Formats: sequence, structure tokens, C-alpha cells
Amino acid sequence: MFRKFRKKSPWILHYNAGSCNGCDIEILACLSPKYDLERFGVINTGNPKQSDIFLVTGPVTFRSRERLVELYTQMPEPKVVVAVGSCTCTGGVFRDMYNVEDGIDRYIPVDVYVPGCAASPELIIDGVVKALEVLEKKTKAMEKPRKLFSEATTKEGIVDRRECAQKVGEADAKDTE
Amino acid sequence: MIEILLILLAPVAGGLLYGFERVVRARMQNRQGPPLLQPFYDMMKLIDKQTLIVNPTHALLGVMHFVALWAVVAFTIMGGNLLYIVFLHLLASLFLVLAAFSVKSIFSHLGANRELLSMIAYEPILVMFAVAFYMLNGSFSIDAVRANPSALGSLLFLFLAFLFVVQLKLKKSPFDAAKAHQEIVGGAEVEFSGLFFEFVYMALWLEYVFVYLLLMLFAGDNILLGGILFCVVFLLVNLVDNATARVRMEHLIKIFLGIAVSLAALNLLGLAYV
Amino acid sequence: MLTQILILSPLLFALAVLFAGVRLRNILTVVFVVFLAGVSLVHLLFINEPLRYDLPHELHTLFFFFDALLLLFFLYVGIAKKDPLVASLAASQIVLYAAVKFVNGAVGSSDLLIDNTSLMMYLIVNIVGGIIVIYSLKYIESEEFSRLKKNGFIAVLFFFLGVMNFLVGTNNIEIFFLLFELTTLCSYILIGYRKDTISTQNALRALWMNQIGGVAILAALLLALVSYKTLSFDLLIANIDTAYLFPIVFLLLAAFVKGAAIPFEKWLLGAMVAPTPVSAILHSATMVKIAPFLVLKLSPAMSGFLSEAVMLFGTFVFFAASLLALSKNYFKEILGLSTIALLSFMMALAAIGTQEAILAASILMVFHALSKALLFLQLGILEKEFHLKYVNDIESLMSYSPLVVFFIVFGFASLTLPPFGVFIGKFMAFESFAAGIQESPVFLAALLFSALGSVFLTILYFKVLTKVFVRDMSLGDSKRKEIACTYKITSWALSVLLGVGIVWSLAQRLFGMWEILIPALLIGVVPLLLYVFVLQNAQRVKEYNCGEKEEVVLNMYYLHTPSAVQKTILILSLVFLGSLFVGVAL
Repeated sequence: MFRKFRKKSPWILHYNAGSCNGCDIEILACLSPKYDLERFGVINTGNPKQSDIFLVTGPVTFRSRERLVELYTQMPEPKVVVAVGSCTCTGGVFRDMYNVEDGIDRYIPVDVYVPGCAASPELIIDGVVKALEVLEKKTKAMEKPRKLFSEATTKEGIVDRRECAQKVGEADAKDTE
Repeated sequence: MIEILLILLAPVAGGLLYGFERVVRARMQNRQGPPLLQPFYDMMKLIDKQTLIVNPTHALLGVMHFVALWAVVAFTIMGGNLLYIVFLHLLASLFLVLAAFSVKSIFSHLGANRELLSMIAYEPILVMFAVAFYMLNGSFSIDAVRANPSALGSLLFLFLAFLFVVQLKLKKSPFDAAKAHQEIVGGAEVEFSGLFFEFVYMALWLEYVFVYLLLMLFAGDNILLGGILFCVVFLLVNLVDNATARVRMEHLIKIFLGIAVSLAALNLLGLAYV
Repeated sequence: MLTQILILSPLLFALAVLFAGVRLRNILTVVFVVFLAGVSLVHLLFINEPLRYDLPHELHTLFFFFDALLLLFFLYVGIAKKDPLVASLAASQIVLYAAVKFVNGAVGSSDLLIDNTSLMMYLIVNIVGGIIVIYSLKYIESEEFSRLKKNGFIAVLFFFLGVMNFLVGTNNIEIFFLLFELTTLCSYILIGYRKDTISTQNALRALWMNQIGGVAILAALLLALVSYKTLSFDLLIANIDTAYLFPIVFLLLAAFVKGAAIPFEKWLLGAMVAPTPVSAILHSATMVKIAPFLVLKLSPAMSGFLSEAVMLFGTFVFFAASLLALSKNYFKEILGLSTIALLSFMMALAAIGTQEAILAASILMVFHALSKALLFLQLGILEKEFHLKYVNDIESLMSYSPLVVFFIVFGFASLTLPPFGVFIGKFMAFESFAAGIQESPVFLAALLFSALGSVFLTILYFKVLTKVFVRDMSLGDSKRKEIACTYKITSWALSVLLGVGIVWSLAQRLFGMWEILIPALLIGVVPLLLYVFVLQNAQRVKEYNCGEKEEVVLNMYYLHTPSAVQKTILILSLVFLGSLFVGVAL
């Protein structure tokens, strides 16, 4: 009965996992009068205990990965994760660099990917709305942990991550098995 | 009979008021704003969340804060003793402070300490508010205030001091250091989640109802004047909220004790000797 | 008859416990305390009109003899410990007392006058004092005293109870002086009981400051003998001439000294190094109640100027002491300063003189004694069982002993919140101030001071709970420590009495029924709910620390009063006191 109210009042937690702040500015622009996310009932709470949508920007740097997982686990179910910006989805322009983990889906399960560098506010709003649809379908059980990447291969002593990523749809197929 | 109905509907009325206020604030900022029933959507969503508690003391004292505040609103609607209501409201705030002290969280303690400090700011003014009505009507009873004609003319300074208190109690800029959303993540409310945050959220709606009920006492038995006062103060409070930045706690106390308490004291002197 | 029992029996009890073995002493103490409490209750319930007694002339001579011995002892202490203040004040007291004895032609009325105020004080002294004596039985077990010295502790406490029982009934100012100095003697002995350097220092300081009170009483007595030709309170008050109020002002000075009003607060704060039962019985619940008791006695005699001046001074000290307490970390100092504040508030109310104000002062006296005794007992438990003195050292007491935390929170709540007695007293005080504003703007200043002081006290009590109330879930139930049975019984006794107070105020119709029931329910249901709802099903989670994993260290915050403000407070209080004398002279 209460399910349909989930998408009427999404409260977001906005976290910067090492981003250049470009996508952050676009997210804050969404909350400003021109693009107005608040008409969907969105409030930017700074508190994981009171939020439903985890808006993350930035390729995960070494120091932010622990905090990322901490904040994700402190959010109560049901929750969705929206990866905003190309860096958050796949590493963006910083992919394969020594100081970033390419994207947050190495650490937490992502529900909606919003590409762009920086992602435009309209696209972010689209992403949030899509996340609300996903949120409606979720249960209050905790997410099943699933391995998103196969083991990294080593070529000539150098770890090669290009082959690790699963193909599109492979994870969902594994889930329904 | 109708009073019992009003008491039972007080949270609903508070929620509608809070929702309407979000729309008004949004329109002032040239944007659309959430739907009117947004606080109730929030309430339904919060009930549906998985409930995480830090410890049972914290959760239960949050609920008691809501219940105590509802009791305060009930006394105000039934027309009780105004000075007593001021102190019972203190009990309700102290439940929240105790709840915030029972967890080992920095933000919670910061918020609770600021909440305690802000009591220095508003308690003396509320006491003088009650005493002013005593001097006019000979008793502290709210029924007596509502039965007599409006005293706004002779209570003008007190009204101005009360506006400061309204801004503080509704947790609006420039006096929202106790909640300070961006600074201490909500202060005393930080560790509440799910259903228990809903109780603290509803307590905020009841705070609105309480403060505006006290405001309408300035109108005495004149309902039209009460309505006008309510609308004017509502718009003024939101305008000031949108236009000002937050002041620090020590400045808040200095402003209140310097300006608002002096205004109220001057008004009391005037009532006695003019 | 009952009065004589109340005065003489504690002296016999003191002798009895002095030489008894441990078990016999414990049993005897409990029996004696129950006996005293019973007698005072019977006295309250069955005696309705004031009683008067005269003491035989031989007793008067005996008292003179004791008085001289006492003053010579003080002089000896001053010389032996090389404390010039004690010696000089003792010397001046001897001179003044000799002068008093030389003046002839005084008309005296009865020596003992038991009226309603005395009956109320009997309850406070015997019941609250008795409970604290029982508590101290367990407390001194862990002190490093010899058996005789421990018995002596209990004996001195009983002796003190007897002195207090006599003091609240006496009508003769000379006997009052003797008893006043006897309480000073008890204070001196008990503060210095542990015999270390700081105890002896503070005991001497208490001695000379209280002797100022003694000098004031003698001056008042001398002036009363010379101008009014009487040495009885009731004749003095009945024949008072508003043009010559000096005896009253000197007696008020003695009251301010005993109640440790600013500028005399140092002796009370220094007395906190004494064993906790001493702090509880002497310096919060019973002995310092002499101050508002004396002002209550004198209030019919105070003229308009004097009553307003005392009211203003009392509320100013209330405000200043609460402000000073906000900067303290030593738990006993916090409670001591709040005692000073509330005592001055009671004195201010007693000085107003209207029926409502006097009722408010009496209610405050009784319930403040109960609440403060409860709080000091908890401090004693903290000191003995957990070795904690400073608030900032108390870590997660909830995991060690939720019962002690409950009592501390209950004690603090009973001092500020409805439906408890102290709140009702404060409420009636505000009503009295509001009623008086029409007559004089001084009432507005008093109202402002008391509103500010009351909110400072509220935040003082609840900020102390910062560390006390934190429930560290990671410790679980493993650290639970049981506190001793005696401690539990005495604390529960005081809490039950506070509850009885709620029922009494309901019966007295001081407030409407709902106004007492609703907060009682709200406060009472919390511990019950916490006991029942352990909320097993909800998932537990740790606190939000921005995703960091480091240890959170919390501290109580301070509001430091700058030394300029402290100096201003001191100067203002001296100015107030001076203006009392000057104003009366004009």
C-alpha cells in the first residue's frame, strides 16, 4: 500500500567520490529554480539514514572507496544508486589510471547510469525519474551481493582490467538463474 | 467536543501548513515547488522504509518528543494556563535533547547543545509573553485571552519580540543554528531514520501549529484579525527565511537577549505604568 | 512533649552509636532514623496550633556556658591553625557576646515557638536527613577511618540533627546564636573529617565565613536588646518600627552567609571536598535551609524597601550563580552552585511576603531538599562505586549502571520539569512576580533575573547529561555493575517521596488534575517503555560520522564566564548588600 508513495518523496544523498566537481555542480543546478527537482518532492538530505537515492559522482579514488561503501550500507532499504557522470559509470577520462577505481560499480550495485561529462541537468532529472521507477519495484530485503566483475587477468605481470567487465545483460541473466 | 476533534487533527493541520509553506517558499524563489500534500507523501514513504535504530532509548525518546508536543498543543487548544504551557513545551524540547544525547554521535550532541543554548534565547521572551497577558487579563488562562478583545495595540513591542521567537522555533534562517542542515546535518535529528524520523518530522509540524496558535492570541476574540495576522506573519517569516543567512549561536543569543528581551521588557514596563 | 523528644533523642542516639559495634550501629541507626521520621510526621499531622515552651533558667546558664566554651574553642582553632580571620572573628564574637550579656532589662517571651514553618522543617531535617544518615552507613564503610572515627561520623550527624531540630523551634535569639554556631562547628568538624590538607583548609574557610554570620547575629541581638528591649523573635517582629530595621538587616546578613549567597559562596564550594553525605545533609538539604527559614521567619517584619531589596538581591544571586555554574566541570561544584542559586531564590520569595510567595518558598524548600539529596546520593555512588568526580570522566554510565543514570535524570527532571514540586514552586514564584509588577518595576527586574536563571539551570542540568546519558551499544550488557543495596534503598526512598509530593500537590489543587497527570504520565512512561520495548526486531546501526570509522570522543561543553563578568557579579552583590544597610538607615 505504501509502495506508490516511494516515488513521490525521494530524498537524495549526494556523495562525491573523487570527482572534479563538474557533475556536482550540475546536480546542485538541478535543485535550483531553473530545473527544480523539488517539485518531485526531492530534498537533498545530507544523512544516509534519511535518504533513498544515492547520487554518486566521481571515479572512486583510493580514499573515498571506504566511505562510499560505508555510506551505502548506512542507507536503509529500499534504496537506489544513481551513478552520475561518465567517471562514475566507467571511469570516464580517468579510466585505467593508477589513482582511480573505474567507476562505483566495483563496490556497490548501481541501478541507473547517467552518462555525460558533465551530465546535463535534464539528463540527471531523467535519471532520477528512472531511478524512482526502479525504487518502486524494490523490496525491503537487503540487496543480494553479486560479483560484477570476473577475476582480473594478468598479462606479462601487469593486471589487465579491460576484460573484466561483464557484457550488458550478463549480470541480469545471472540473477535470474 | 470540537476541541477534541481539533486536537486529534492537529498533526494533519500542521502537515498541510508545512506543505503549503514549502509551496510558498518555492514560489518566492521563482520555482514550482512540491505538491501540497508532500509532507504526507514523505510520511508514507518513511513508514515504508526499513527501520534502523541506534539504540532503543534514542528511538523511544524521539517518539515521546512528538507525544509531549502533541500534549502541549492539546493544552493550548483547550485553553489552559499559558505560563504552564510554556514550561510543558520545555519538557517536550528536553525529550528531544535527551534523545540526542543518548547516541554517541558528534552531530547529535552538537545539535542538542545548540538546542539547549537556544532555550536561553526564547524562554525569557515566552515567560514575559505569558506575564504580559496576565497583566492585561488578570489571569494566565488562554480562555481569558480569547474572550477579551485584541490587545495588539498595547502589545506591539511584545509582538515584535515574539516574531523573533517564531523565526527561532520554526527553525528558519537566520536563527536555525540548532538545526543547521548543511552544517551539522540536522543536529538533533541526525540519527533518526524511517518510522522514528517520521515522529520527529511530525513534531516539527506540531511546532508550527503551536507557534501559530500562540501568535493568534494577539488577536484576542477577533477571528478576522487573527487570520490577517497569521497570513502576514506567515509571509514575513518565509520572506526572512529566504533572504537571510544563518547567524552563529553566540550571535543568536546576543541578538535575542539584547534586542528581543529588551523589547519585551519595555512592553511590560509600559503596560504597568502607561 | 514531641518537640522535646525531637531535640533530645538525637543527642542520646549520638552517644549510643558512638561506642557500638558495626552491626549494632547499623541497626540502631536505622531504628533511630525511623523513630525520628515517625515522630516528626506525628507532630505534623496531629499538632495544629502553635506551641510555646519556656526553658528553665538553669538551662539558660548552661547554654551561656556552652556558648562561651564554643567561642573559646573557635579562638583556639584560629590561633592553633594560624588563621587570623578565624581568630579575629572569634575574638569579636566573644566581645559582642560579653556586651550582650551586660545589657539588662530585656523582655523575653517563650523560648520555643513551634509553628507551621517549624513543622515543615522538622520533616525536612528528620526524613531527608535521616535517609542521608542511613546512606552514610554504607558510604563510610569504604573510607579509611578507624572504627571509632566512623562511629563518630554517625554520632556527629545525629548530634547535628538534634541541633537542627532545636534551631527550627527556637524563639530566643541568644539560643538561636548558640545553635547557629553549633551548626558551624558541625560543618567545621565534618568538612575536615578526612584530615588532608585541602579538607582542613576548606574547613577553616567555612569556619570564618560562617562566623561572619555569627557576628551578624550578635550585632542584631545587641541592637534588639538596646532599641527594642527584647531578645525574642516574635516580640521583635511584632514591635518592629519600620524606621529602625537594623536588627532585621543583620539577621538577614547572617541568613545570606549561611545560604552562601554571593559574595559568600566560596565556603560552600570549598565544602564539597567533604565526604558526600556531609555535602548532602549539611550543604544542600538541611543546614543551608536555615537561610530561607530565617527569612521566612522575618518576612512579616520587612518593610516595602527591605522586602523589595532582598527580593532583587535574591533573584540576582539566582541568576549569577546559575551563570557561574555553567563553567564548572566538578560535579559537586555544579550541584553546589545550583543549590546556592535556588536558596537565594527561596529567600527572595520569602522576602516578598504575600501568601502565595510564602507558599511557593515553602514548597521549594521541601522539594528542593528531596531532589538535591537524591542527586548528592548519586554523586556519592559515582564516587565510591565508579571513582568518578568530574563530569567529563563519566563515559557511558548507561552501560555500567542504568539505575544510577535513571536516578540522576530523575533528580534533574524533578528540579526543572512539571509535575514536580520544585517546578510548582517556581511557577508560583513567577505568578507572584507577575502580580507585583503593577506595584513596582523592581518586580520586573526580579522576573527577568529569575526567567534567565531558571533557563540557565535547565541547560546546566541537561548539559551534564551529555556523557552520562550516552548509551554505547558496543559495550552491551557485559559491563553491568550492581550497586550496593543500601544505596538503592535510600535512592528509591527519596524518589518515592518525590512521587508522594506529586500526589500531595494534586490533592492541594495547586494545579488542575490534567496539568499534573499528563507530564507525570509522559515522564513516568518513558522508563517503563524502555524496560518493555527492547525493539529486538529493528536492525541496529551505528551512528553517522560522515562515513569515517574513527572513534568519537565527546565532552561536555562549558560556558566560561570571563573574569570581568565574575568581578562585576562580585561588585554588584557587594553593592546590593551595602545598599541594604544604607537604605535601612535612611
